[in-house]
Amino acid sequence: MATLNELLENFHDIACSPKKQLNAYLEQGKKVVACVPVYTPEELIHSMGLVPMGAWGADIELKESKRYFPAFICSIMQSILELGIRGEYKGISAIVIPSLCDSLKCLGQNWKYAVKDIPFIPMTYPQNRKPESGKEFTKASYERVIRDLEAATGEKFSEASLAKSNEIYNEHNAAMRKLAEVLEQHPSITAVQRRDIFKSAHFMRKEEHTALVSQLIEALSQVEEKESKIKVITTGILADSDGLLKIFDEHGLQIAADDVAHESRQYRTDVNLELESLEGLADKFSRMDHCSVLYDPEKKRAGYIVDLAKKYKAKGVVVLLTKFCDPEEFDYVMVKKACAEAGIPIIQIEVDRQMVNYEQAGTMMEAFIDML
Amino acid sequence: MGEGEKKPKFAVDPNSAKFKLNEIVAKHYKEVQEAKDRGEKIGWCASNFPQEIFQTLGIKVCYPENQAAAIAARGAGQRLCEISEAEGYSNDICAYARISLAHMMVGETPEQNMPLPDFVLCCNNICNCMIKWYENIAKELNIPLILIDIPFNPDYEVSDAQVAYVKSQFLAAIEQLEEITGKKWSDEKFKEIMEISNRTSRAWLEATAYTKYTPSPLNGFDLLNHMAVAVCARGTVEAAEAFETLLEEYKKAVEEGTSTFRAEEKYRIMFEGIACWPHLRTTATGLKSRGINMVATIYADAFGFIYDDFDGLIRAYCNVPNAMNLEHARDKREAIVKKTNTEGLLVHTNRSCKLWSGFMYEMSRQIGEDCQIPVTSFDGDQADPRNFSEAQYETRVQGLTEIMESNKGGKD
Ligand code: SF4
Ligand code: SF4
Repeated sequence: MATLNELLENFHDIACSPKKQLNAYLEQGKKVVACVPVYTPEELIHSMGLVPMGAWGADIELKESKRYFPAFICSIMQSILELGIRGEYKGISAIVIPSLCDSLKCLGQNWKYAVKDIPFIPMTYPQNRKPESGKEFTKASYERVIRDLEAATGEKFSEASLAKSNEIYNEHNAAMRKLAEVLEQHPSITAVQRRDIFKSAHFMRKEEHTALVSQLIEALSQVEEKESKIKVITTGILADSDGLLKIFDEHGLQIAADDVAHESRQYRTDVNLELESLEGLADKFSRMDHCSVLYDPEKKRAGYIVDLAKKYKAKGVVVLLTKFCDPEEFDYVMVKKACAEAGIPIIQIEVDRQMVNYEQAGTMMEAFIDML
Repeated sequence: MGEGEKKPKFAVDPNSAKFKLNEIVAKHYKEVQEAKDRGEKIGWCASNFPQEIFQTLGIKVCYPENQAAAIAARGAGQRLCEISEAEGYSNDICAYARISLAHMMVGETPEQNMPLPDFVLCCNNICNCMIKWYENIAKELNIPLILIDIPFNPDYEVSDAQVAYVKSQFLAAIEQLEEITGKKWSDEKFKEIMEISNRTSRAWLEATAYTKYTPSPLNGFDLLNHMAVAVCARGTVEAAEAFETLLEEYKKAVEEGTSTFRAEEKYRIMFEGIACWPHLRTTATGLKSRGINMVATIYADAFGFIYDDFDGLIRAYCNVPNAMNLEHARDKREAIVKKTNTEGLLVHTNRSCKLWSGFMYEMSRQIGEDCQIPVTSFDGDQADPRNFSEAQYETRVQGLTEIMESNKGGKD
């Protein structure tokens, strides 16, 4: 049985070397499909014996992407394209790009010309996802993804395999939700380590990740927790940067729970296994909520964040706003208001994947902590 | 002060298209206000929301995008943007949205007023930013939001699945609106509105097609103004008639060799993107002073909705420029370039509009190569005056002119 430290190191290695993961899968003779944020039907990909791997960009300098994107497109889109052009995704069979925001729509269009050797598979989600007609449209979009995946990889789809993958994904969801609860009880786990555990999920087959997370939960159950930190909630698309997360750790902040797209937002909703598998997957999307790229006329996400803060007795909310992310920028005002009404301090820190200097963020955070 | 009360600097012929078109816009705002004053429920509406729905129901709506453009053109873009920014909205958000949200907060904007809505009608076939913007209005004002979701189409053709999805939302929207306003749907009226809308669209398309003549009988910038009518009154007989008048005027101008482009037309270009409303004069002068006329714009097509039946209507709304994939959008533009003998492409890299600018570099490169015309871009913003540099614009336009000039030399 691996020790807690060994497990944490393992998560760290996986989170920090996606390329190694990719090559390992390729060497095993597996085919890998890149999945672009915020949501893609990973279950489908998995069910066809392919390895879905998250492509959320990286903290790199942008050069090639500038020939396609103007400067005011978020650095997640920019860096995914940059990596693609540089050949970092070599060996991948296809990339699935959803059109959940305007910048994502553009990534798909640019991809076709910028990275010609990796086929682009569009995933078109409906925004009116709850009515029957919305679910049917989701299903039709899934069917299209299946056709494209079959063409790109030669693998075949079957409802029966999807049923199994749905189950595996439900189990992983449950493990990740449990993990979040357990981590809340363990302030000694740093923000960077927490990120590693969540991030690694994007670079592994989910059954493997579930197994590792279960071991971690087991290992943590042996730890007697002495530390106590100031609890906060994080929200945003991504909370990935070491420099930023270290500020949390240096200032004694604990991420008690998150509403981060790259982290917990992925794991809130399960497939209803009673339904026929493809329909079940469409039904899952129809029940997903509380996210800036999912139509939310009542702005329930704002209340959700307030509830999260209350539930975990968090002292404040840290909004990690990806620069040029308009869905999040619009929501921020509503979240800010909801927090103000509930008397919960909130701070907004703008982040992007080219950030090198964290001094300002650090100063802001210090001022914020003084308020708590 | 309403528009109609302003003293015109020179008298516009009341039978002219210009007069009629201006009247339609003024009347449009007036009618919405009157309906509001009567206690009717009025809405705010996205520019590409299927207007056939509320025209049939006899519901009055106004258009935040038109309003924001008018406010920006009258010099108040920055003031309103800053109101939103003070509320916490990032200055990277589309300036139309920032202006609109600011108007919602202050309730009164003298540069172009509009009554506050009782419901909002959103359609994201132009962008998803629209959804977020309208969500916030609905939440802040605690009013219903009706969304017709028309997803960005990654394919060339619109799929049957998409038509079925959009159609069912169209029907749901009718029901919701009946409930909100108490008005009743009539199939007969719907048919009539579809006919009028087609008539207006045909006249608009035919009139805008006159830029194919050399020299063009119109200054392409005229279209940017007339567009407001194509947006807000497509389903009305007045609009159809006004565009028919416009068409007659262009026909006559071609015969007589006159033009509203008041300079010698030396070069013909396509202008890509929304106008820089706060710097309209600067941008227009930069072209006119060099004898450059804008004879091609995707806008001309954008508001020409031609269809035969209900399915056709749905497909037309799925096929608006910002909902098309790169290949389809490119081919449309290339057809326009060829039809109008365009010699250069000037691209407005619009900081407000991620979707429009986000794959424009690649698309304009392809258009340039396929049509063998020079392509230049400049940085600007449709409504926030702070994101434009006159010096850069001048340099870029000058560069474009020089290439067009040398191309002419080569062709001689
Ligand atoms: S704009 Fe926001 S939602 Fe869209 S891709 Fe960028 S980070 Fe994601
Ligand atoms: S300018 Fe662009 S982002 Fe703004 S409302 Fe229009 S289409 Fe949407």
